[in-house]
Amino acid sequence: MSSLSPPVNRLITELSRLPGVGQRTAQRLAFHILRLPPEEALPLAEAIREVKEKVGQCEVCFNLAVGPRCRICEDERRDPSLICVVEEPSDILPIERTNEFNGRYHVLGGALSPIDGVDPEDIRIPELLERVAAGGVREVVVATNSTTTGEATALYIAEQMRERSPNVAVTRLASGLPVGADLEYADEITLGRALRARREL
Amino acid sequence: MPGLFKTEAVVLRSFRYGEADRILHLYTPDRGRIGAVAKGVRRIKSRFGGRLEPLFRVALVLHEGRGELATVTSASTIHPHARLRERPESLRRAGQACEAVLRLFDTEEPNAPVYNLLCRELALLDERAEAATRAQALAFRLKLLLAAGFAPELAACASCGEREHLGAFSASAGGVVCVGCEAGSFPLDRSAHEFLVEALTRPLADAPAAPESALAQADRAIAETLEHHAHVRLARVA
Ligand SMILES: [Zn+2]
Ligand SMILES: [Zn+2]
Repeated sequence: MSSLSPPVNRLITELSRLPGVGQRTAQRLAFHILRLPPEEALPLAEAIREVKEKVGQCEVCFNLAVGPRCRICEDERRDPSLICVVEEPSDILPIERTNEFNGRYHVLGGALSPIDGVDPEDIRIPELLERVAAGGVREVVVATNSTTTGEATALYIAEQMRERSPNVAVTRLASGLPVGADLEYADEITLGRALRARREL
Repeated sequence: MPGLFKTEAVVLRSFRYGEADRILHLYTPDRGRIGAVAKGVRRIKSRFGGRLEPLFRVALVLHEGRGELATVTSASTIHPHARLRERPESLRRAGQACEAVLRLFDTEEPNAPVYNLLCRELALLDERAEAATRAQALAFRLKLLLAAGFAPELAACASCGEREHLGAFSASAGGVVCVGCEAGSFPLDRSAHEFLVEALTRPLADAPAAPESALAQADRAIAETLEHHAHVRLARVA
């Protein structure tokens, strides 16, 4: 490493901070970038600069946004009385791809986990409760991850909503078998819930 | 010694790691607290399914390499604790139980009684919604203290051995103290003292009931004992 010049070392260090990128991969990427002509390498730097300068948080739902509101909150055709609660902005994408949801979102920024010191005030649960209490919402769909922390978050939101906005329906994404998977690999909780939520054919 | 080994475990905690992996903190009967990587477990079609989520009791095969963390190669369910996951209060208590084990027993030193105690606590919270009480959570903590070797002296004054007039608790003395040895102690009502004795001697499933004020004192006695002797600070079990 010491044989490399400081700018090259700096690039390797920065790349190795990315998730899933180890020291060796960072070196390989750095040498790849060094070989590129400027017009192919600089757009990456520009793209990084642009997202950091322009992309912020939507003031309503905390999704990523250019400007004060995200494209979903600005879209008049989306039903504002239906709110889907997710843990991270990246969870919106897969839900959008289903074409099954035409409401708005609320991004919590994490899930409750007392063991890690994450309490309701540390994620955007107070903002959600306020947003719903302000009126005009008929249903909240809780789409937190199907993990222990995601479930704890869903249960907590349901409890709080029952207390503060009893007329708003709170629903949870169903658990079930992934399409294309074999039954024998399903865990007991998934299969148990799938059985309970079975439907008539 | 690289190779495969089998163990039972309760999943205490789990973190996202890399693209689709998780790092698990496991409590096992014969290896104490160990860390492991579950590769690809966040993918919807992972063969582990939900089995490596916190609160699962599982039978595992792990691969031990040269690194610090073992890798999970297979997992089958012993107890999923499915019902407690649907009741906020039971889920909260189960989380508190795991947290106490995580903080108090954080080495690879085996302690089978602790493992059995945790399994019983989770099974109890799963079976009975009404077990998710403060008294029950305190009884569990007290039994953990016993398993850790820090059970407070409750039969006689921890300072002088006096058997009468035991109206206070001192963590530094190591248990209840008499009126003459009260320095550094806080008052412990008779009902709180009785709760501690009963909770320690009765089976976990028969945790005694006690008034809220007695539970608060018992909670303080347990918390101060933990801090003083195990140097562990746990949130109170409100
Ligand atoms: Zn928005
Ligand atoms: Zn004394």
